[in-house]
Formats: sequence, C-alpha cells, structure tokens
Amino acid sequence: MCIFLFSTEKFIKKTSEELKHYDGKAIIAVSGGVDSSVACILVHKIFGDRLKAVFVDTGFLRKGEITEVSLKFKKLGIPLKTVEARDVFLKNLKGVADPEKKRKIIGKTFIEIFDSEAKAFGADFLVQGTIAPDWIESGSGIRDTIKSHHNVGGLPKNMKLKLIEPLRDLYKDEVRLLAEEYGLRKDLYWSQPFPGPGLAIRVLGELTEEKINICRQANAVVCDEIFSSFEKKEIPSLPWQYFAVVLDSKSVGIQGDIRAYGYTIAVRAVEATDGLTATYARLPQDLLEKISIRITNELKGVNRVVYDVTHKPPGSIEWE
Amino acid sequence: MKIIVIDNGSQWTHRIYRTLRDLDCDSIIMPNTSGLNEVRDADALVLSGGSMRVGKDSLEGGNNDLFLKEFTGPILGVCAGMQLIGKHYGSKVKPSIKPEFGKIDLLVDNFDDLFQGVPEKSIAWASHNDEVSELPKDFILLAHSKDVKIHAFKHSKKPVYGTLFHPEVQHTEFGEKIYANFIQTIKR
Repeated sequence: MCIFLFSTEKFIKKTSEELKHYDGKAIIAVSGGVDSSVACILVHKIFGDRLKAVFVDTGFLRKGEITEVSLKFKKLGIPLKTVEARDVFLKNLKGVADPEKKRKIIGKTFIEIFDSEAKAFGADFLVQGTIAPDWIESGSGIRDTIKSHHNVGGLPKNMKLKLIEPLRDLYKDEVRLLAEEYGLRKDLYWSQPFPGPGLAIRVLGELTEEKINICRQANAVVCDEIFSSFEKKEIPSLPWQYFAVVLDSKSVGIQGDIRAYGYTIAVRAVEATDGLTATYARLPQDLLEKISIRITNELKGVNRVVYDVTHKPPGSIEWE
Repeated sequence: MKIIVIDNGSQWTHRIYRTLRDLDCDSIIMPNTSGLNEVRDADALVLSGGSMRVGKDSLEGGNNDLFLKEFTGPILGVCAGMQLIGKHYGSKVKPSIKPEFGKIDLLVDNFDDLFQGVPEKSIAWASHNDEVSELPKDFILLAHSKDVKIHAFKHSKKPVYGTLFHPEVQHTEFGEKIYANFIQTIKR
C-alpha cells in the first residue's frame, strides 16, 4: 500500500551540491547513532579535512558504546575526537528533576563543548544530524513543545556557530535507507534510535550516579535479551526501539526473605516507522519474564519490573 | 499539481507534506498567517491540525477562515483543521465528552469519494480534545467512531472535506488511500 518515492540517489546529489556552497571549516557532533553518522559521511565527502567529528562522553552512554563508536569511525576512515565530559554534565544537572530543564541543560552543555572544540579547530559551522521529528517535537511558534530535543531546543539564541543540518526534512526510515546506501554495518547500536541526552532521560527525575548505573545495566539486559530472542527466531524482527527506564518512585518487595524497598524499572518496546506514531510491541511473555528475572536478580536495588503498554499518542516513546 | 499544507501547528504537519510527496504530489508547508495571494495558485489546500482549542474559541486560527471563504479548489481539514471548517460553516465545536488519544476504530458511513476503497471498519489514529458537535448545514456525514459521531464530513456541493482523525500518520491503516482519494478530487 505504501508508495515510497524517497530516492537516496537524488537526495545525496542535491544535498552534496548544496554543501559545496560552504567555505571554511566545520565540526560535526556525532553520537554514533544513524542520523549523525549519515550526516557525517555526507558532509565529509564534500568537506574532507575541513570537517572534524566530535563525540562527547556525557556519562549517559550505553554499555560499551564508546568503544563501539570509536571502532565504527575508524572503519569509516573519519578521524574522531572523543571529549570526556562526564563530570561537567553531572554537575550541571545536579538537583534538576524537571524533564524539560534537564533536556535544555544537556543541550546547553553540548553547545558549550562544541563551541570550544570549534574554536580550537577554527570552524564556523556546526553540522548536526537533526531529523524532522527533532524540530517538530521541539516546538516553535504555534507548535506546542512536546520535548526539547538537545540539538534544537537547547541551542542558545546568541549562538555563534552557524548550523548545517542536511537531514532536516527526513525521517528515520529515510535516513536508514541512506545508511544502507553508504554500507553502514548493522549492529545492536545501529538497529534502534538512541536520544542525544542518552540515559539521562531514562532516569526519571533527579540524576544520581547510582540510578544511571542501574539504568545502564537494565538497558543492556533489555538489549541482550531482545537481541538473543531475535537471533533464536523467537521474534520475527527487532522492535523499532527498546529500552529500560528507572522510575523515580520505589516499591515494596521481598528478596531472600528480607523486605526490599527498591527501584522500579519500566521496560518499553515499540513498533514504528517514522517515530511520530508508535504502537507498543507485543513481545512474547517468556521474553518479558526473562528480562524481568534478570533485572531483579542481577541489579542491586531493583525489585520490580513493569512493561509499558501505551501507544504513541498518547504516550511518547521515551518517558521524558 | 501543487498542494499547500496550511500549518496550524500540528506535530504531524510535516507528515502531511511527506504523505503528499510520497504520492508524487508537489507540496509545501505555509504558516496559517499567510496571505490569500500566497495560497491562491495552489490546486488544493490541506488545513493541518494543531494544539489550538477550537472548542474554546482559541484565537490561533490565523487566516483559515479567509481561505475557507475565498479559496475555490478542494480543501481538506484535519483535526483542528476540520473543526475550523465546522465552525466556518456555522456549526458548533465543543470539548469532546470522550476525547480520543491514539488508536480508534473508524466506521465509514459514506464511501463516495474520500473513503473509496476503505473498508467499513478500519484502524485510525486520533488525538483530539475538541470535536464538531453537529453536522453543519449542507454537510454529509462520512465516518464516525464509538465515541465521536462526526469523524469525517464533506460539503454536499463544494469540494470541502474534513477528518477528525489523522490520515497522514503511518498507523492509520488506509491513510494514504484517503489522501490519494483527496488528490483525485482535484483532477475532477
């Protein structure tokens, strides 16, 4: 039924022509995700050495992600600078519980880092892998702000760097076609979207190192189990996105005959194409059970797991 | 063929643009404050939804009323866009007793043009707080749901259509078909 007319060839040709009009140097903010990687390849082909890729370790990354991203860019033959900024992010977010404030502080911290990297490199431009839902959900004018995406809503008004956003009109499914065109390897990290603020918005409310660690481990369990279930052909395909959220309330449980009062993990898996609407994924009960047993047994301080059965709308995909 | 999408601030305005583009139709998005002269040469207009509360007399409707008065080609209003049509033609828009957020069963009452080839019952996605509470004069009911009696309507003499649900989102089963049918009305 879907009549799909997006042509990667036409898009690459047209965008490459437009990119030729820029003089000077640029830095690109990469996360290792599909959007910024595709933007990077696209711009690198035109800019060459005039482009520098910067990857920020926010402290909110997934298990093994830094190694994974470094390897990926090595394979692409694009030099990557990793900026260690864990303490800065955590410090800036201390005591902040409101999700919009969290997102805006994260966006601002990113920009401060990019500003200083751009200065060092002598760049006038900042390339971002912004796609349509990022600016749509960030709102402006009469469009309500659903959530401020770090790459849009967090940008300061007096920003000196000029933005280049070659994927601004595209959706995730179209970017994935471009990724295939560029022969990007498919793996666990490629297979699903991961937000720029990372685990910081999967720990609800105020952040602590303890909760971020729980969140990182819980996300790794969800990914492991869903991926292994897919490899064993127990599920026909991977859901569009799947992850774990640490809730900001505790509940009573019993672990080894001892009263437990611990964190609740919400597991979310959704099916979507462009991410503007989504249905919750109907994962097999056995798979959910495995995830629940592993999380409550392996993670200290967690005694309950719930599964999110909300479509979008009314829920959004991420919880914050 | 050129269709202008009038942006009333919906999260899915750009999705309308994409659906039309995927149907091989030239489409551009313009703010609802655009002048009549800027939209006059379009073959059709789509009035997007938005967060404005038409049922509470929101003032964010821009020039939609002017377009409805002066534009003679086909017009499709979606969600708030449909409510603006209802209001323009003298009906009442009220807060829904049972607002719908997400998946609904869409029940088609009239298959004439917009719903050609769409089954009597299908899945659609809605996201609304208000609705057109009674059919405006000269309008024909096209579809309803369990909780909302007017989910789609058309004018009996002019090519003016409205849907409260969102045919542009991927999860509306026959959404693309509905837009294809709307494009057909231009060719008539």
